[in-house]
Amino acid sequence: MIKSHKNFHSQNGKRLILIADDEMINREMLGNLLSADYELLYAEDGEEAFEKILRYHEYLSLVLLDIMMPKMNGLELLAQMKKNPSLGQIPVIVVTSDQKAEVDCLGLGASDFLSKPYPRPEVILARVVRTIELSEDRQIINATERDSLTGLYNKDYFYSYADQFDQYHKDYKMDAIVLDVYHFHMINDRFGNAFGDEILRQIGLRIRESVSIDGGIVCRKEADTFMVYCPHRDDYSDILEHAAVGLSGTGSVSGWLRMRMGVYADVDRSLDIERRFDRAKMAADSVRNNLRKNIGIYNEAMHETEMYSEQLLEDFATAIQEKQFKVYYQPKFDVRPVVPVLTSAEALVRWQHPKLGLVSPGVFIPLFENNGLIQLLDKYVWEETAAQIADWKKRFGISLPVSVNVSRVDMYDEGIIDLFESIVKRNGITESELHLEITESAYTQDSEQIIGVVSELRKRGFHIEMDDFGTGYSSLNMISELPIDALKLDMLFIRNAFKKGKDTRLLEVIIDIADYLSVPVIAEGVETEEQLNVLKTMGCDMVQGYYFSRPIPANEFDAFLNDRKKQIELEGQSYSGFSRYNPSKKEIVFGKITHALSAGFDYIYYIDTDNHHYVEFSAQSSKESPKIERSGLDFFEDMEKNAELLVYNPDVDRVTRALRKENLLNRLSSAKSFCMVYRLNKNAPEHFSLRAARANTNDDHHIVIGVNKIDEHSEAG
Amino acid sequence: MIAKNVLIGFGANPDEGIERCMGDESFYLKLVCRAIERGPFEKLLDAITGNNLDEAFERAHALKGVLGNLSLTPLFDLSSELTELLRNKLGGYEAPAKKLIEKRDELAALLSGLG
Repeated sequence: MIKSHKNFHSQNGKRLILIADDEMINREMLGNLLSADYELLYAEDGEEAFEKILRYHEYLSLVLLDIMMPKMNGLELLAQMKKNPSLGQIPVIVVTSDQKAEVDCLGLGASDFLSKPYPRPEVILARVVRTIELSEDRQIINATERDSLTGLYNKDYFYSYADQFDQYHKDYKMDAIVLDVYHFHMINDRFGNAFGDEILRQIGLRIRESVSIDGGIVCRKEADTFMVYCPHRDDYSDILEHAAVGLSGTGSVSGWLRMRMGVYADVDRSLDIERRFDRAKMAADSVRNNLRKNIGIYNEAMHETEMYSEQLLEDFATAIQEKQFKVYYQPKFDVRPVVPVLTSAEALVRWQHPKLGLVSPGVFIPLFENNGLIQLLDKYVWEETAAQIADWKKRFGISLPVSVNVSRVDMYDEGIIDLFESIVKRNGITESELHLEITESAYTQDSEQIIGVVSELRKRGFHIEMDDFGTGYSSLNMISELPIDALKLDMLFIRNAFKKGKDTRLLEVIIDIADYLSVPVIAEGVETEEQLNVLKTMGCDMVQGYYFSRPIPANEFDAFLNDRKKQIELEGQSYSGFSRYNPSKKEIVFGKITHALSAGFDYIYYIDTDNHHYVEFSAQSSKESPKIERSGLDFFEDMEKNAELLVYNPDVDRVTRALRKENLLNRLSSAKSFCMVYRLNKNAPEHFSLRAARANTNDDHHIVIGVNKIDEHSEAG
Repeated sequence: MIAKNVLIGFGANPDEGIERCMGDESFYLKLVCRAIERGPFEKLLDAITGNNLDEAFERAHALKGVLGNLSLTPLFDLSSELTELLRNKLGGYEAPAKKLIEKRDELAALLSGLG
């Protein structure tokens, strides 16, 4: 929004002018002169003028300012206005008989002067009109060159002003600095955007205060990131400390908000300006998550990393051409049979660089993800993998599905579905042989788009695995609706669960969830026999990791296929893979549950009486498509707590007793089901009906409890 | 018209003052009457006799601005002279201050004589 649009006073469409003069006669003379064409405000001292400027700054087109005024003189007022970017844009005509003050006023940003005694009215009017016109033209330029929130330069203009600075100050040593706020989004989330905006304004203002004295310029690059280009200094802490006052002045957020800063000192002017700030950003990233240090300085080590990255980027095209990228395969085993069965593999890329040797994917994948090359690499890996699947099929007569990683950016490619189709056709394999791993975070970041693409891929027969499960933030509800064929537990998740002070409870819940969703769980990163055995006990279906094999080149992988071939020859094709999983399994299980209870319930709990884990389904929105609401580790403990909190006092004891494990199992040993009515809500009791039954599934250790609200007159507690 | 002639006779330039008031003569005369009211001139003299020279300078400067805008030339000239004396701290303020009041009284008498 261009500010000049606001300069019209809302009621009569006239521009608003403030006349600040302590002499009433002067105010009246100017008022008489201007009132036909302008809306007027008056102030009789400096403080009143400043207060009105603050209040009306969005609408003020001009201030006519007397210099000699009580409380705050005109020079002090100008200085105050200059400090505040949103006030500094308002043009000021200084009215004075003191010519000596004119130089000071110009330095403080006055636009023009009027002498006393006043010149002829036409002269005053013409100057007023001209000053407002010039200011509005400038504001139009400002609107494009400045960030409307902070009044700082926007990125493009900042870069061109920095260039200009270089041209006119060729001998200066210059620094490029980047500042940002840790977890700034949390401020907006917790306190609202208006509060967050105010903090950004304060930070911007303070950074400018610190660096503008030396001629430094500042811009807000985006969100909470600021850039500074200023003459070289030795100590940067004052800039950071002064900027951080913008945070500490905000009371409730002080303490947990921190800023960090990256400095590329004494910049190399042969680099283009954006590169200089890339280096400052790199320096800022070097202190990420470092509680003791919040200023990073670009150094030789960073320079080497940068050069290394640059070389990798430069060599990418040749590497694709010369097939320097090697696809390695890591086997996945079904661990449910006594002897684990090789069921598939994951394709993992390695770079055999002619000069640098084996480059870690941990280095080049994030790099390629940042600049879009990852799509080309993914495509390369998919092609290689499909060809390998076909080769193994031909040589061993075994169809071994292989999963490939699909980057998030691939999912936005409109041609992705056709591309996969053409890859499988070209290589003579089927859709079901190419498994696609899509990371959990992709689903959560733009779920609608991703779910649409994934659903279509599944419809075509591709098998979808949700990768890195446990690192994203999927809600249970969302997971139950996602089109997936397997959940892959993140490697770190496994490692953490088995770390010192082993805590595998969360792992168990996730495996339970997968079970209820009727999708197999694939555990990645399994390294030891202990991990394997615990995971098996929990019900994990497939395992991948160093315990079986590290990722290996295709030729070495032949050994696994040979073994599998021998296994088949010995046992026949008895292994049926994951046939127990089919898309409708979830509905079947749920059908059996509701059948056990004669259906019609609002909430259903599916409880494992061995380990007490449970899942709560809600059927409120659709009886046919129940949703998982939550899951828990101990049904009986949770129910006891909830009864205390939620059940109507006179019924608490009865409900608590009935839902004790031994009582419940006792009742169900003598009857097919058990029913009770009780009241919820302490203040306005409502009647609920609860029915418990043994699950009508093949196991005998699950019970099902259904709850629904009933008409209060039909049955009484 | 009579008032204007009185002002001309006093040495003022009412046409210039009226022009600053967008040709509104009665508005101009109203401002002239207000400008020569008792108060500001006396306070200026008090500040001088009390040796509050900063205050005196501010008051003289303020009067100068108003009197100049109304083109009350004899008063403007005196207030200008006094302002410069005070600005440069040259001393001898009391005589011109008193003269300024006398001249103001003279104009007030002329105007009040018009009824």
